[in-house]
Amino acid sequence: MYSKIGILTVLCWLPIFVFSQDCNLILSGKVNDSGNGQPLDYVNVYLEDHGTGAVSDSSGFFRINDLCPGHYHVLISHIGCESKRLFIDIEEDTELQIEMDHSTHELGSVQISASATSATTQSNEALNEQSIRDNAHKNLSNMLESVTGVSTLKNGNISKPVVHGLYGNRITILNNGIAQSGQQWGNDHAPEIDPLVANKIRVIKGVGSLEYQGANLGGVILVEPKRIDKEPHLHGKGNYFFETNGLSNGVNIQVQQYHPTVAWKVNGTFKKSGDKRAAKYFLKNTGGQEADFALQLEKAFSEQFSTDLYVSSFNTELGVLKGSHIGNLTDLESALTRDEPFFTEKKFSYEIEAPRQAVHHQLLKLHSKYILNDRQIFDFTVAGQLNVRKEYDIRRGERSDIPAMNLRQFSTFLEGKYRHEFDDNLHLKSGVQFNFIDNTNDPDTGVSPLIPDYFTYESAAFAILTKKLNSWFFELGGRYDNALQNAAFFSQTVPRELLQYSDFFHNISATGGFTYRPNHDFSIAYNLGYTTRNPAVNELYSSGLHQGVSGIEEGDANLSPERSLKTTLSLIGTIKEKLSFESLFYLQQIDDYIYLNPQDEIRLTIRGAFPVFRYEQTKAQIYGLDLRADYEITQPLSLELTYSYLRGRDLTSDVPLINMPSNNLTGSLKYVVQQWNKFENIEFELTDKYVFEQQNFLSEQDFVAPPKGYNLLGFQIATDIQLKTTRLRAFTKVDNLLNVSYRDYLNRQRYFADDMGINITAGVSVPF
Amino acid sequence: MKKLSLLITLFSTILIFTACKKDPEEVVDEEVITTLRYTLTPDSGGTPVVLSFQDLDGDGGDAPIVMGGTLAANETYSGVMVLLNESESPAEDVTEEIEEDDDHHQFFFQSTLGGLSVSYDDEDGDGNPLGLKTNLSTGSAGSGQLTVTLRHEPNKSASGVADGNIENAGGETDIEVEFDIDVQ
Repeated sequence: MYSKIGILTVLCWLPIFVFSQDCNLILSGKVNDSGNGQPLDYVNVYLEDHGTGAVSDSSGFFRINDLCPGHYHVLISHIGCESKRLFIDIEEDTELQIEMDHSTHELGSVQISASATSATTQSNEALNEQSIRDNAHKNLSNMLESVTGVSTLKNGNISKPVVHGLYGNRITILNNGIAQSGQQWGNDHAPEIDPLVANKIRVIKGVGSLEYQGANLGGVILVEPKRIDKEPHLHGKGNYFFETNGLSNGVNIQVQQYHPTVAWKVNGTFKKSGDKRAAKYFLKNTGGQEADFALQLEKAFSEQFSTDLYVSSFNTELGVLKGSHIGNLTDLESALTRDEPFFTEKKFSYEIEAPRQAVHHQLLKLHSKYILNDRQIFDFTVAGQLNVRKEYDIRRGERSDIPAMNLRQFSTFLEGKYRHEFDDNLHLKSGVQFNFIDNTNDPDTGVSPLIPDYFTYESAAFAILTKKLNSWFFELGGRYDNALQNAAFFSQTVPRELLQYSDFFHNISATGGFTYRPNHDFSIAYNLGYTTRNPAVNELYSSGLHQGVSGIEEGDANLSPERSLKTTLSLIGTIKEKLSFESLFYLQQIDDYIYLNPQDEIRLTIRGAFPVFRYEQTKAQIYGLDLRADYEITQPLSLELTYSYLRGRDLTSDVPLINMPSNNLTGSLKYVVQQWNKFENIEFELTDKYVFEQQNFLSEQDFVAPPKGYNLLGFQIATDIQLKTTRLRAFTKVDNLLNVSYRDYLNRQRYFADDMGINITAGVSVPF
Repeated sequence: MKKLSLLITLFSTILIFTACKKDPEEVVDEEVITTLRYTLTPDSGGTPVVLSFQDLDGDGGDAPIVMGGTLAANETYSGVMVLLNESESPAEDVTEEIEEDDDHHQFFFQSTLGGLSVSYDDEDGDGNPLGLKTNLSTGSAGSGQLTVTLRHEPNKSASGVADGNIENAGGETDIEVEFDIDVQ
């Protein structure tokens, strides 16, 4: 395999004027591998409207003769690559310059050859459009599991991403450039984003790029819809998938059209699934349904000024395993001793009952770009978000239809950004941001809220300077944030009193790093970042019973901000075009790390005795290694290995940090058949994932020891199907092929039930 | 200069907003049970014994007041359970709610005292035990604990549950209180 950077990209096409006659035009061009700049052979260039095409030769050249003037849809495909469509207008002989790459994983730190503004010394990895569509049945977090160093914290089918051991308040998820604003503090609160709207999902594994709002202690996840293609015809894509486990069905449709007045793109997704099945039994009440919609509008008013609008709506309802609903510690202990969870039934059902969650998230974003001159660009963004989260419990007296928790969060975001390219090598990016959050509990729940009502006002300013110098690339940035939090809640005393708190915090972040790339085959990147994160409202003031963990959680109003220093070192290289590898070492130290510490106190209530947890601070250290290697055994057969190692320690008490991801090792053997009848790029992949037992753990830190290590075998076939006028993509895969019973350490459902058993998925993507 | 003035505007907005404080509406907790009273009347006549658990300020705050009791040896008692929410005034009778939703509730009684046993004296619409009315019989003298548990949505058809065995009941614990008992 060739070295891997960049998903299939078409940088530019350069029309060359040649005097021409009717139907005598030539379309020619050259294809290069974007990784090493070498010519790429056997690339199919196919004119869909015409039914003809050509294949690139060993120098990367291709040529199609005898074309009439007109519009053409060009499909470019290559073994192991994501196919790409182009719309071109042929009026004279035309030459295309095409760059493409094989990989589903893109590494940002080696992009210095492409564009210095998008480059960074932060380690980052991305999923491209094809791998998003081949995993259309997964939610955002599960999709990201294929990125090394990213794991998921789950509660059954609810999952949230963990980057290098950190999650929730410590990472930022950006939906089309806007930080997702919701109830991120909850371990069973999944990000409210439909990944199928994205053309690329990128994970930055450093302290986070400083241009984004939020406390990026662990990393940043960017969900990025692409700009609308300059294609005057109505085009789109339909995706459908089916899963045997849970009998899930999902449809996604994307339609777009470019017009000089306004370009538009519409995206809709609908998913429904029923009870999932572990190897030996159904997991009652683990179904879900989702309906999402997004609209993208783009308008260029002039060469200098353009505006785009993005509206998205995410709506989901998710069931929580019935047997995991517990009242007190006795219930938990009796659930822990069972092989099969309570309420397990023999039959499958689509029904979702309490306990369940219903979550709605709306986003509106208006962005304008003003190009002052060749060197200076201004960006202005206004965004609003509304997040409504309702959680239903099993309640007495027909109250199960009244949410036990009903939170509404409204936020507005304003941003002004300024980019200045002093010369081709020295770039500045700077900006100011303002964010307002209004978080309100609905008082009709009939349950005292766990977290208070609050207003937050955040202001920030940042500047990032990048400099390219021969094979070197340097980055230096700083950011200042302040946050005012006004929280209010009622005390638990008799009579109850209204308590109002106001806290003001300053946060400072700084980052610096370099990338050195002496040649196309090797690069080294180093980054050092300092970030502070002020305590979130739940950490300061939450008070009461957290049903999910059978504990009473108490905030501490005197917490101080966390201060984190993280350093990353990545080495990326290719050896003799046979072996390519990416490795990332990281070390992070967090002073005043906020965590829930079990207290000696056991509190007696009418529901029995509960352990008490308090938010406390300590000095924490996390270090680890992400490794990915690709080896081409013989031409169509290759082997990929990924390994993630992580260790977290509480340095003050010299004990392990809990809820840290287990180490894991994945190997996959891939065999590609270039063509068979109408099938092209037929990929067979056998994958084996081994997750080690979490041994970095003390028995008094949890109710039950971490589950044993487990091994999951999977198999996948994916192919392009070239029909006369269209090119389909189809895949089928089997997960947990041997139907193994296992439990995962980061899945809270492990206290009660096994994880998912065998699952067969089939999906097809149809462009039109 | 333009940037600076924008910054100043932003930061001065902050100062204006400082005056804005959240003013939440008080939530009335609806499903609270503050008080359990288990009244045991001797079948042979005499003064009833009342076991009670009372926690007026809910979870946290002041510790609950738990009153155990002294029972006569080799005696049978008729037990009546009353549940109240005394954080409201007048106090709400939660017992009625349990009666209305009897097929989704069941009391369980466990004792460390030899010879002390509790049997059900009522049933739900399906003929399964509920436990608001019970018969308690004592054995020889001694002291120990009696634990009263109320389960919401137990699996009443699971093995042994109809006989008062809590082991396979499942569901969510609404009440779990422990009383000190002297049998004389």
